[in-house]
Amino acid sequence: MVKITFRIWILIIALMLALLMIYPRFQDGVVIKSVDKDYKAFESGLRPGMEILEINSIKIDSLNKYLEVTSDLLKDSSEKRITVITKKDSFIFLDSNLSAITVSEIPNSNIKTGLDLSGGVRALIKPVNGSLTDLEMSDLIDITNQRLNVFGLTDLTVRSAKDLEGNNFLLIEVAGAAPDDLESLIAKQGNFEAKIGNVTAFVGGDKDITYVFRDATQSAVYTPEPLGDGSYLSRFSFTITLSPEAAQRHADITNRLSIDPNSGGQYLSENLTLFLDGELVDELRISSGLKGQVASQISIQGSGIGSTPDIALSEARTQMHKLQTLLLTGSIPYQLEIIKLDIISPSLGEAFTKSMIYLALVVFIIVSTVISIRYRKIKITSAVILTMFSEMFITLGIAALLRWNLDVAGIAGIIAGIGTGVNDQIVIIDESESKDNYSMKEKIKRALFVVFGAFFTIIAAMLPLFWAGAGLLRGFAFTTIIGVTVGVLITRPAFADLVKQLGSQQ
Amino acid sequence: MEQNNQEQHHEGNKHWYDRWHKKMLLPPVVLLIICLIYLFSFYSQNGDIIYKDSSLSGGTTITLKAELNIEELESYLEQNVDNVNIRKIADLSTGRQIAILIDSSAEPSVLKPLVEEFIGYKLTNENSSVEFSGSTLGKNFYKQLVTAVIISFILMSFVIFVLFRTFIPSIAVIFAAFADIVMTLAMVDILGIRLSVAGIAAFLMLIGYSVDTDILLTSAVLKKRGDTVNKRIHRAFKTGIFMTLTGLIAVIPAFFIVTGLPDSFRQIFLILGVGLFADILNTWLTNASIIKWYSDYKKIN
Repeated sequence: MVKITFRIWILIIALMLALLMIYPRFQDGVVIKSVDKDYKAFESGLRPGMEILEINSIKIDSLNKYLEVTSDLLKDSSEKRITVITKKDSFIFLDSNLSAITVSEIPNSNIKTGLDLSGGVRALIKPVNGSLTDLEMSDLIDITNQRLNVFGLTDLTVRSAKDLEGNNFLLIEVAGAAPDDLESLIAKQGNFEAKIGNVTAFVGGDKDITYVFRDATQSAVYTPEPLGDGSYLSRFSFTITLSPEAAQRHADITNRLSIDPNSGGQYLSENLTLFLDGELVDELRISSGLKGQVASQISIQGSGIGSTPDIALSEARTQMHKLQTLLLTGSIPYQLEIIKLDIISPSLGEAFTKSMIYLALVVFIIVSTVISIRYRKIKITSAVILTMFSEMFITLGIAALLRWNLDVAGIAGIIAGIGTGVNDQIVIIDESESKDNYSMKEKIKRALFVVFGAFFTIIAAMLPLFWAGAGLLRGFAFTTIIGVTVGVLITRPAFADLVKQLGSQQ
Repeated sequence: MEQNNQEQHHEGNKHWYDRWHKKMLLPPVVLLIICLIYLFSFYSQNGDIIYKDSSLSGGTTITLKAELNIEELESYLEQNVDNVNIRKIADLSTGRQIAILIDSSAEPSVLKPLVEEFIGYKLTNENSSVEFSGSTLGKNFYKQLVTAVIISFILMSFVIFVLFRTFIPSIAVIFAAFADIVMTLAMVDILGIRLSVAGIAAFLMLIGYSVDTDILLTSAVLKKRGDTVNKRIHRAFKTGIFMTLTGLIAVIPAFFIVTGLPDSFRQIFLILGVGLFADILNTWLTNASIIKWYSDYKKIN
């Protein structure tokens, strides 16, 4: 019978605490991560955090099921009745599809996975010329937050980040599924200008534009038309309200224009051209009736082109969304560039997680088999297996406690940590079973010299990663260090006690 | 009986090892020199000592959830953009192709429309992942990670000196770790692996991971008394080689499960595998020979 020593008690308590931290639970389904405020789904009352049980009477028990149902909805683009039943309520609205909301699987433990596994968007942004002052950075964070808020995201982080060389970046992170057109709003300077001839009539931002219509009555995307070359074009239009000053300026400019004789008197001689960050968005003819008129409502138009009707349609929708948001939030007074942009699909991450768990299991079985073949003692083999398992479990518990996001490199770090753990145990067993004339206590002490030596070299090797590369590999360094520390402080002493007892029993 | 055999084995070992230990230093040193020459010529040809993927050199990686003909897509993309590299990702249990990985030095705004044109539908966040690193950022990351590897090596050396507090044995351990890194680097280049950010992290891991057998060996020789040095080395070898082999067996599945794992994950395991293999050589030929030589010279017993 194994006597439960103080060190073994510590291990047992650590295991129980880890279980409490990880808090595994078994629940199927998906939870809403974001709801776009411009869509009917939002109007009907759907909000982030709600758990979806059914859509149009189809039970949603997994992310794949959800994706299946939503892609079925996409097959026909007509408006239809969509019924969403959540845990607490049911919501009914008319829309063509469910692209307004993004979802993720209900987590089945407190362990959080990183962007590369749970999906999401990570962007690093810096100004094209030089660096930003703290004030400029906080302005940039505000505008970016405003722009991204139209998506109603729950897990959105916008903050500044510094690297080893003191460069500062804007870091944007969205965990889980992210709306497709998010990308088009990141790092756009958003300099909108409406020109008639060479004269600026109005610009983006709340000084000239007091309201941007985004509901279906005054904003629309039209059915794609084929262009000659095999691609398709889909137009969009929406209405904006100009401030009195901007409307007056517009009237003064049109007043000076003549009527284009080639148009049969229908249009004025100059067009209204719309530019975004120096690029032409669209060119509109001005009807001759508007000459000198103070018009406070103006229709903004544009288009999206794609190789299929669907691509054209979604391109037009993205363009419209982008333009509406940029008109609302105004521009950023310097050019920005995206220096890193990762958009990770949640469903791919799921496949990766599955294969890593599978691999970890295979490795676990192989190592256990090898150990049992070498030592041929069931007690020792089970002590090694138990220790391997405890080490992984306690490390995961600590990650859950610290709300650490486990990414791919982090998981590799945990596995590598367990590898060093096994090595240490081999040292302890061999040392304790040696036929030296030392006492058992002395043998264990010698083994622990090697164990601690290896421990300190690993810590030393991992430390620089906390700072290098904007901290992108911090997860790897962190989990490795936590793993080996748990090994040395908690599981190794307990294992040494177990081996001591098993050794003296023989 | 078994006990007797082992003793005889030890006796035989002793003779053999006393005569041969200096000569055993030769193969790893020659191999190390070959690797260094290889890396040097690699550097003069490629301007760097490794191949870098888009996370370090700048470019785009698109992971597309689809089953399609890789060769056709590759030749299609090669007509339009540089440095195209395509692999497939398969499900671990069924072996079915679940995704393809497209890596190129082009920006997403160039690569995405080309891929969309080929597959005939839009890339969305549901069917694909797109990762982009700007080339200045990639260079910056690379520079910082190389600095990290150097700092990490210096810190490790410091720990070794503090542990053993004697010059030659400590240098032997550090030299073995250095040889591990050089041999692994050369092997990674020969295999044509394009290193990612995670791959460089694996080298840091290797620094920490490869010295534990060296510590085992050196402490067995320096800190124990009783048996002969040869017997102590032999016993350390029995423990250490089992440690390394267990490690190797543990990383081997990652060599065979080529397609179902995230690239960064597989790279970490591949590099650890190659490194562990090099470590067998450098611990039990290089380090063991030096420490044996040293203990003969210092008359340690």
